[in-house]
Amino acid sequence: MILAPSFRYRFINRIRRCFTRWTAFDMILLAILVATAAAVGWIVAIRLQYRWNWATLLEHIVRFDPNTDSLVPGALLRGLATTIRLSTWAMLAATPIGLAIALLRSSRRPFNRWTGRTFLELIRNTPPIVVIFIGYYFFSERLLSVFDVADTLQGLPESTLFLIEMGFGPRSHLPAFLSATASIAVIEAVYIAEIIRGGIRSIDHGQIEASDALGLNRLQQLRYVILPQAVRNILPPLSGQFVSTIKDSAIVSVISIPELCFQGTEIISATYLHFEVWITVTLMYAVLTFTLSYGISRLERRVRKHSGSALFDKRMAMG
Amino acid sequence: MIRKPSLRSVLPDVLLFALLLAAAAAFFFGGENTSGYPWQWYRISRYLLDRSETGWRWGPLMQGMGMTIALSGISLVLSCTIGITAALMRLSHSVVAAAISRGYTEFIRNTPLLVQLFFIYFVLGPILDIPKTTAAVTALSLFEGAYAGEIIRSGIAGIDKTQWESAYSLGMNLSQTYRWVILPQAIRRVLPPLTSQAVSLVKDSSLVSAIAVADLTLQGQIIIADTFLTFEIWFTVAAMYLIVTTSLSAAASWLEVRMDRSLRR
Repeated sequence: MILAPSFRYRFINRIRRCFTRWTAFDMILLAILVATAAAVGWIVAIRLQYRWNWATLLEHIVRFDPNTDSLVPGALLRGLATTIRLSTWAMLAATPIGLAIALLRSSRRPFNRWTGRTFLELIRNTPPIVVIFIGYYFFSERLLSVFDVADTLQGLPESTLFLIEMGFGPRSHLPAFLSATASIAVIEAVYIAEIIRGGIRSIDHGQIEASDALGLNRLQQLRYVILPQAVRNILPPLSGQFVSTIKDSAIVSVISIPELCFQGTEIISATYLHFEVWITVTLMYAVLTFTLSYGISRLERRVRKHSGSALFDKRMAMG
Repeated sequence: MIRKPSLRSVLPDVLLFALLLAAAAAFFFGGENTSGYPWQWYRISRYLLDRSETGWRWGPLMQGMGMTIALSGISLVLSCTIGITAALMRLSHSVVAAAISRGYTEFIRNTPLLVQLFFIYFVLGPILDIPKTTAAVTALSLFEGAYAGEIIRSGIAGIDKTQWESAYSLGMNLSQTYRWVILPQAIRRVLPPLTSQAVSLVKDSSLVSAIAVADLTLQGQIIIADTFLTFEIWFTVAAMYLIVTTSLSAAASWLEVRMDRSLRR
């Protein structure tokens, strides 16, 4: 058995290699980088005379409320919460829709395939912002006028309302929130459909033939043979799609959903803190998505390590 | 084995699909009785092609379309340039170059385009003193450049190692190897995914309406604010985008089939 070199050894080796590979070209690039940063800093400080005001911005992230004697989240943190809520619900709604489209597209009937394909191409080739506008007007003017959310909410007990607010945000924003979630869900569903279809196609054709031979019908085939095997190929890109959903959810700020990006524009119109707000909002998105991506890649590695596929492949190779 | 279905066996499906399309058409053009919405499609034409005293001229929607195509075209060229640079930097032996490229790609891919657009327009805009159209092009090019860079990088990485070795044994230096051996092969591989990236670029260019660049989406919004023709305008705008993007998509899949065939030969 060969022991892998310890992490520390590898780390030191890596740094050492970095320095031995360090060339004049690296120095020049680094100099250019530093010079650019210095030039930007000079313009901001001297030419624009920009007065940084991070203290005010901090109040919009988290502030101390003397009335209740506690810390309350500011607009930006509430926006971040809305972004996470919106993306989570959209993703949960998008997965079944995506599965339906994927099943339509891998159906044996041409009509199903064409319908699935048409829907997919229509959504995939239209800009998300247009889909969101259409969805917004469709929901707010057509659907929600028939099925009045505000009235329905009035009759509910306070404990249920609390749960709803935990899950969907303030009740006054609920209709807009739902229409935004639905639009985002439809947009993401199309990408999820392609992920699921890829997963289904990755199943060996022999499996389908074998289940045919066993007399399983199409539904049983999917339920017992195809999907359990496809899930392993579907889950990693599906969780990656969650990161995309978070990024795409910024677009709903155009229909005034109080998510992170919209809160940024709101704070700016009140305080004119352009630099601070956009730097903070960008960093908040980056931190959120980086953390998620890192978690997903860890999860993926663990799934790969613990799944029996490696052993199975080895056995197959040995015959 | 999948048998090719005969015409007769797909006929019911063809009819059913035609029925579906007819139902959709009836919904959109059937007037208030069929859909419950008073469609006023006759008011749309003047926003596409307008007749004035001096003759015909393009309406605001077509002007917006021109803006969208111009923005996407310029950004496409710039993003390919950025993409090649980023890919070469990432693959280079230089530590700093690889780090810059990596940082750029990761940062762009992990933040929303809309936020990048606002960042470039509101933060870098005053610093570098650039107008909003330039800011829009910069944001789009930087955004798509990161994706193009990854596509090109994987295209170069996918080239067989023996190609490098043969070029080396022929006495070529690095730039000659790239110029004569690697890039010509890589381009064939990356052209199909780059074309579908162009589709994304056209779609993403709609976000520039958020910083008031007069593209197709913004023109649509302006007309709606004037006329309240919400659904008519949005569906027209969507159809106009669809025409551009589906023809690009079709080009991408055609290229893919062709490249696939030429690679297999």
